[in-house]
Amino acid sequence: MVAETNESMVAGSSSENILEVRDLSVRFPIVEGPDVFAVRDFNLAVKPGEFVGLMGEPGCGKSTAAMSFLGLVRPPGVIETGQINFAGDDILKMDEETVRQMRGRDIGMIVQNPRYSLHPMMRVGDQIANVYRAHNDVGKREAWEHAVSMLRMVGINDPERRVKAYAHELSSGMAQRVLIAIALSSQPKLLIADEPTSGLDVTIQAQFLDQMWDSCRQASSAVVLVTQDLGIVANYCDRVVIMHEGTIVEDADVYTFFESPQHEYSRRILQLQREAQEAGDAVLGKIDRTAPPILEVKDMSKLFPIRGSESKVHAVEHADFELRPGECLGLVGESGSGKTTIGRCVLRLVEPTQGEIVFQERNIAEIRPNEFRKFRGDLQIVFQDPLDSLNPRWTVHQVLSEPLKLHTNLSPEEKEQRISELLNLVGLEPSMRFALPREMSAGRQQRASIARAIASNPDFIVLDEPTSALTPETTAEIIQLLMDLSAKLGIAYLFISHDLTTVKYICHRVVVLYLGQIVEVGTKDQVFNQPRHPYSRALLSSHLFPDTANRRVDREVRETLEGEIPSPITENLPKGCYLYGRCPSQVDKCRDLPQELTKLDDGRSVRCWRVAEGDLPDEPAAH
Amino acid sequence: MNEPTNPPGHIETPEDIDQHIEPHMVVETIPTKRRQIDLVKKFKEEKLFAFGVIIVFLSIFLAFFGPMISPYDPNFATGNVSVGPPNILDWPGLFIDTVFLGADPPHWFGTDNSGLDIFSRTISAPRTDLQIALIAALLSMAIGTTLGLLAGFFRHFLTEILMRISDLLQAFPVFITAMILVALSGRSTTNIVIALTIVYLPIFIRLTRAEVLGQMPRGYVEAARAVGNSEFKVAFKHVLPNSLVPSLIQLSTTVGFAILLTSGLSFVGAGVRPPTAEWGLMIALGAPQIILGEWWQSIFPGVAISLTIFGYAAVGHGLEEDYR
Repeated sequence: MVAETNESMVAGSSSENILEVRDLSVRFPIVEGPDVFAVRDFNLAVKPGEFVGLMGEPGCGKSTAAMSFLGLVRPPGVIETGQINFAGDDILKMDEETVRQMRGRDIGMIVQNPRYSLHPMMRVGDQIANVYRAHNDVGKREAWEHAVSMLRMVGINDPERRVKAYAHELSSGMAQRVLIAIALSSQPKLLIADEPTSGLDVTIQAQFLDQMWDSCRQASSAVVLVTQDLGIVANYCDRVVIMHEGTIVEDADVYTFFESPQHEYSRRILQLQREAQEAGDAVLGKIDRTAPPILEVKDMSKLFPIRGSESKVHAVEHADFELRPGECLGLVGESGSGKTTIGRCVLRLVEPTQGEIVFQERNIAEIRPNEFRKFRGDLQIVFQDPLDSLNPRWTVHQVLSEPLKLHTNLSPEEKEQRISELLNLVGLEPSMRFALPREMSAGRQQRASIARAIASNPDFIVLDEPTSALTPETTAEIIQLLMDLSAKLGIAYLFISHDLTTVKYICHRVVVLYLGQIVEVGTKDQVFNQPRHPYSRALLSSHLFPDTANRRVDREVRETLEGEIPSPITENLPKGCYLYGRCPSQVDKCRDLPQELTKLDDGRSVRCWRVAEGDLPDEPAAH
Repeated sequence: MNEPTNPPGHIETPEDIDQHIEPHMVVETIPTKRRQIDLVKKFKEEKLFAFGVIIVFLSIFLAFFGPMISPYDPNFATGNVSVGPPNILDWPGLFIDTVFLGADPPHWFGTDNSGLDIFSRTISAPRTDLQIALIAALLSMAIGTTLGLLAGFFRHFLTEILMRISDLLQAFPVFITAMILVALSGRSTTNIVIALTIVYLPIFIRLTRAEVLGQMPRGYVEAARAVGNSEFKVAFKHVLPNSLVPSLIQLSTTVGFAILLTSGLSFVGAGVRPPTAEWGLMIALGAPQIILGEWWQSIFPGVAISLTIFGYAAVGHGLEEDYR
């Protein structure tokens, strides 16, 4: 059925398509064993100005396919068969020089990892100008001016100054925008973007994608966006193409795709997300609010000294929050907001500079480090990168034995039994018992890591971005597992994440952090449906939920923040409100008035005087 | 409580897993097979490595059995003074005579100025050389990796001092340092071992420290702390085993160079005492005779040293390539 849609599309509109790929196969010869086809029987047609999302699990061949649109294949791969018709001409039949001319001029490319893609010893202006001059017959001066205007177009402040900057002087968000400026500098008819925003923060990601969307719509350039993120696809793409095992298994309009996915893989990723949400709703709401908090953090700060300098890095400032037994508290914010440091401080993996951490009615911040080791069985952590957090030389069995040895008095037989029980709890097959971390998939590694955390029967676990290194599919499974465990064992979670989608599934309450300060605390519904603090509002508006009902590109007002997070060094910090300079609702008073976390009538707390005094109108937010 | 749609124990049945492993995923996924060096295969395919392994085993064999299988007593004059080796074309005949007809074994490599059989001395020498070199290299590695671990793991002014001392040691040529140490402490096997251990310490300290510093930011180190290990346990149970590989590779090369250094010390008269069968000593005793045309006294032990060092270095090099 899928093949039919493809063929009809290709046959019916051959003249008006900017890109037409027919029966493309890319072969990778393997030294031992049969050759591998990373892409096979691939058919795709893209109309001018169309945004196509190319999705699929890692290793499905999506990047290889996207590269081949430029006539490029990573060695030792070879394009075995097929046609790649760009504006009617087959790229594969052209000579290398002609194709080279077309790359950059007619077909632009944006790759992952902006910093490594820029020349480290060349000013960015020269890099843009070079591309422009390579394809247009213009002088140096004119090309330089073009570079300045390109930088202005992609939304870089002060382009006259930035055009002289080198790659290392730019933040990653800015570097990414320079790349898009290079890619768009000669107005290509087709832009290929291979996970352009992986590793960027949500507000920067939204700025970037907005920019790309606007620029491309203006020039009616077509875009092929390779991604794993359902949110990006739902919010920006017109069409979704799903790849599986090297072939296209689904090619649908974005609305149709989210309503009724056809292929089994598409259904699975969408369904897993839905299930996670439903299971989350089932577990949520069972919290006894009258019970004494299991964890109370009072006025905790962490300042890191900087070598050879008086100033300090203000990672966390005056954090106050509490957690009830069985509750899941979400800690959200962009990179550099101090969320990871809070998690480390609570477990005293990093010693807080000041403040109290009351765990089960005892201030654990005061306990001597050597004595605190005994308490570690009750407070555990699951790390972000599962492979990195497991000792590479230890089998699952060894990993799980360690906490049992340190925190329990089980006999050897009981230990073996407990390990089997743990494996079963986290859904690891018994055959994984003696596997090494690198022999397992990322999902299983994270399960092993979770098993280690629950081995000593903790009452509280810090989940430090436990799903950010995983594919969407595995993420949904791990989230479900975590919720099951919480329901079965009554563990309280501090869930640290920059991915608001997962936070939305699993958390009861949410803490929003900005520059080391808590700016808003509230229940999930309060924060997600009606954020009050300007930062929370921008953050939520920037986050791309996998939902086509309220696409970002369709919104009249796209709330976003100007610029980027300043680095939290003493002299860099604003005197008044930390958001001053980026805030869309700022007034002059905000500049000098330090902000206090104020409790509102509806139970939430907000660090913004305008909200506290009812000065800021409470409009319904996007989500 | 709602029944979770997927009980965690059943999310991934073995059948599900099989579905996930597609042949074409090989290209972009991380290989999940246990990366283990297949030594037998390596031995067959890499000539240089195979050669090194043969030399290493031969040297160890001779260290144990050399004096036993040598045709003459290596330390007792058994022939005329300064007899040259027999013509190479006569060797097969002489061999047959010795083995099957019970003739007196010839002096294959000739005899030296005192009438000692050079062949017997050459194959007996590994007992002295290898014993000193192996013990020194192992001691050096054991102490060096421990100190390197401490220096990398605990950043303390004491460990900083340790690193400066190791800088100081490395500033002098290895040979000079060893010579001075032996000269100061006296010429005995124990003192030579100690001197060699000390001069090779900085290499192991540095290698381990660099590796430990690379391991420290890894997540498993923090995870080991979070589980409740003491700092000491984190260092020795978790970080050390993951930092040993470079030192293990270095060990082979170090043994080779320690053999050279042992011989070198004997050559200049700061090593073992004559008439112990020892390569450096044999070269030293034979060197003045070269001018008289008696080349065999020095050549045979010299070739033995070269081959041995080459063999150990080849093994170290071969292993290193696999871990890169």
